Parts: sequence; structure tokens; C-alpha cells
Amino acid sequence: MSVRAAPATLPVALALWRRSLNEVLRVRGALLPATIAPVVFLLGMTGQFGRLTGLDGFPTDSYMSWVVPLSCLQGAGFAGAATGSNLARDIEQGWFDRLLVAPVARPVLLVGPILGGVTRSLVPATVVLLVGLAVGAELPGGALGLVALYVACVGFCTAAGLWGVYMALTFRTQQAGPLMQQGVFLAVFLSTAYTPEVLLRGWLASVAHLNPVTYVLELARQATVRGIEPSFAHTWPGLVALAGMLAVLGGLAMLGLRRMGR
Amino acid sequence: MIAAAAREGRVVAALGRRALSVQFRRAQLLMPTFVLPLMLLAVIASGTSAAQGLRGFPDIASYLAFVLPGTIIQGALLAGLTSGTALAADVEFGFFDRLLAAPVRRTSLVIGRQAGTLGLSALQTVFFLAIAYAFGARYPGGVGGMLATVGLAAITAVGIGGIAGAIALRTGSLSLLQSIFPFVFVLLFTAPAFFPRELLVPALRDASVYNPLTYVVEAVRGLLAGDAALGDPWLGLAAATGLAVATTVLATLALRERLRTL
Repeated sequence: MSVRAAPATLPVALALWRRSLNEVLRVRGALLPATIAPVVFLLGMTGQFGRLTGLDGFPTDSYMSWVVPLSCLQGAGFAGAATGSNLARDIEQGWFDRLLVAPVARPVLLVGPILGGVTRSLVPATVVLLVGLAVGAELPGGALGLVALYVACVGFCTAAGLWGVYMALTFRTQQAGPLMQQGVFLAVFLSTAYTPEVLLRGWLASVAHLNPVTYVLELARQATVRGIEPSFAHTWPGLVALAGMLAVLGGLAMLGLRRMGR
Repeated sequence: MIAAAAREGRVVAALGRRALSVQFRRAQLLMPTFVLPLMLLAVIASGTSAAQGLRGFPDIASYLAFVLPGTIIQGALLAGLTSGTALAADVEFGFFDRLLAAPVRRTSLVIGRQAGTLGLSALQTVFFLAIAYAFGARYPGGVGGMLATVGLAAITAVGIGGIAGAIALRTGSLSLLQSIFPFVFVLLFTAPAFFPRELLVPALRDASVYNPLTYVVEAVRGLLAGDAALGDPWLGLAAATGLAVATTVLATLALRERLRTL
């Protein structure tokens, strides 16, 4: 059984990946809201809070450079969470039930949609980066910094996808969509989103210190923030944070998957 | 004449009540309008409070109370957009066509929807004021300032509801209304929603002069603080009322156009 099942794994995952990509390729403008929202946040936050760089302790004098990685992660996270909304729709419409009886291991059914989410996330992340660079963000981290930024985006998108999948498998309705999106929103903003940790006050300082996304942001900011140069010291906390998030959220998704159909 | 006016009044009240009950019976619709602005308030109030140390920042008693007007106006924007989305759903699923066959004035259908928006925004503003008060915000402007704030926010919500309603009536597309969500934040971020106008980046400061929400948000700030130097309430009222009248006319024209092409 396992000998025959193994060769089917990759084609099934690839077919489901292609299907999830078709959802955006065949629907005109499907990626537009997910791309525009982080761009709007990028420009809006820079316009509102741009003067914060004048505070002692701010590592850069370009607020745009500070916010670009945040908006890239936000765009990638929303693209990941959309995986959950799509899965919830498939569950509601009965399509996922039919997939469950297919002769493949259940986790394979999630690989394709999550890969699809990761592929989709590259669009908002890249558009945000290009818009940011066009309106004044810097790129002092060079190629290494860019690699760190994209690793952070892909990892965070996967974590958001697993979170969305867990929510979809738990609630089994598209009405859980706002919960998936707001989970990402909270994770991103309860971090060093607006200011570095030394300038945070009150409860947010403690929460941001414990929030793994703070370290993922540090990983991503190696690309654009002058005070956070590409180095192992700025990289490993982000990678550990991503690994932790993927392990926990992946475990929850597997748990939800095991409960399906019981 | 009086009997006809009373009958139309009953129609408007019934439609307004229906618009509100649709919102409250589907809790997921309330998440974006009630919870999202509060989450953003919590994060901004803690994440950017160090800004009080910037030169030129007004001398204020509570930073939370200073950024609260941005949240209130954000709530008003979302209430207006939610109203347009619900109208688009009515158009798409055929309920609006059945209303058109009723022996009532067509304008009452638009005004009834706007009455629901007004009620939703008023409830929302009271909720925001109460939650912020519980977390330490104080309103030296007193009860009068708070009541005027509720009124200004409600009129603003009607203004945004008018735009959203016009789009809903022109297109009848629920998905289009759902996808214009990010543009709401363009209106918010091009006003001094969370920062003093003098401290916005120059391009945004110049643009904010043309955004009516600039005057509304500053008026709310002045009303809650009991300090007209922070914002002129009459200017805010003029901006909100102008917006509401103009967009309600726009929605009525969109309804006429819809009837002409049916």
C-alpha cells in the first residue's frame, strides 16, 4: 500500500497546488485586494507616523524602510490565511469530503493549497517591496537582505496558511474567514510593527517581546533597515521563531485533519 | 400630505430597523466594524505613544484619548461600507427588486438604508467611547462633547454609506463592495487620524486639506478634549453634513439610473 501510495503523493500535491493557483489566475482581479491592502497600509502608516524616526532609539531615519518588511509580511500573511478561507469553502461545498476518500495520505491534501498560498503571497510581497523602493525605501541589506526578507515572507505565509487551515478544519464554515484574517492582523501588529522594542510602552512591550513575529520582522528588516545589517545574530532568532510557529500550527492543522470525518 | 409623510417615515424606520437587525443577527458582520478598529486602537495607542516626546506634539492629558477619534472615524467608515455591502447583497439576491415593487417612494429605500447606517454608527461610537474610558481615556469635553462626537460619527457613516450605496446600486456586485475594503483606509490615512496634522509627512499634510475626514477627525478630537484649538466642531459638522448630503444624492441618482435600465 505504502509503495503504491508514495508515487501518488507528489502528483496529487502538484495538482492541488495548480488548482489553488487557478483560483487567482482565472478570476480577474482576484489578487487585487490582497495586494492593495498592504500597499495602502504601507503608504498610510508612513504618512501618519513618519516623524517617529526622530525619536532617540529609532535605528533608521527612513520610516518607509522600517515599514516595508512589515507590509510585505502582512501581504504574505493575508495570502496565507486565504488558504483557510478557500479550504472552508471546499468543506462547505462538500468537495473536501470527496478528497478525503482519495487513496492518499491526508496531509498531502493540505500541501498543494499551502504551496498555492505561498506562491500567491509572492505577488503582494514583491509589489509592496517595489512600491516601497519607488517611494523612498532603502535596500542596504543587498542580496542577502532580500533573501532574508523573502524567507521571512514565505515562512510567515506558511504559518498563516496553517493557522487558516486549522480554523477551517475546526469551524468548517467560510464565516470563520474574519477570524483567520484577524489572527494574522493581530500577530503582525502585536509586535515591533510601528516602533522598535525600546520605544514600545506598557503591555505592548511585553507582548511584542514574546511574540515570535517580532523576530520574523527582525529577519525581514535586514533587507531595508540600515541599523539591522544582515548577520547571523539578526537571522537565527527569526528562523527559530518561524520553526516554532510552523511546528505548533502544523501540529494543530494535523490534529484538525485527523478529526475530519469522525 | 402629513399622512403620506408619516407613511414614508414608517417605511424608513422599518428599513432602518431591518438593516440593523441584519447586522446584529450575523455576528461575523460585526467583527470588522466593532472589533477591528479597537484592535488597531490598542496597537497604535501602545505602539506609538512615544510620539508624545516629539517636538511640536500638542500637550495632551491622554494619548489614548488623542488617537481615539481616528478609531471612531474608522468605525464610521466601516459602518458605511458594511451598509453598502448589505445593500449589494440585497440587490444580488433579489430582495431589493421586491422592495422596488412596493408602493413606497423610491428615495425612502435609500434613506431607510442610511437610517440603519446612522443607528449602527451611533451604537458603535458609544461602544468605542466606553471601552476607551475603561482603559483610561478621559473626555474633558464632557457629556456634550461625547454626544456631539456620536452625532458627527453617525453623519460621517451616512456619508460613506451613501458612496457605498451608490456603488452597490450601480453595480449590484457584492464581491466588488467586499473588495473596496482597502480603499476605506486610504480615506482614513489621508486624514490626521492618529497624528497631529502638523506632524504628518509633508505630502500627506498637503493632501489632507482636501479630505473632509480631516475636519471631522479634528472636530472629534476638539470635542472630546474640550479644546477647540485641536479642532473646530463647526467645521467638522459642515464637512460631515456636506459629505452625507452629497453622497445620499449620489445614491438616489444611482437608484434612478438602476430603475431606468431595469
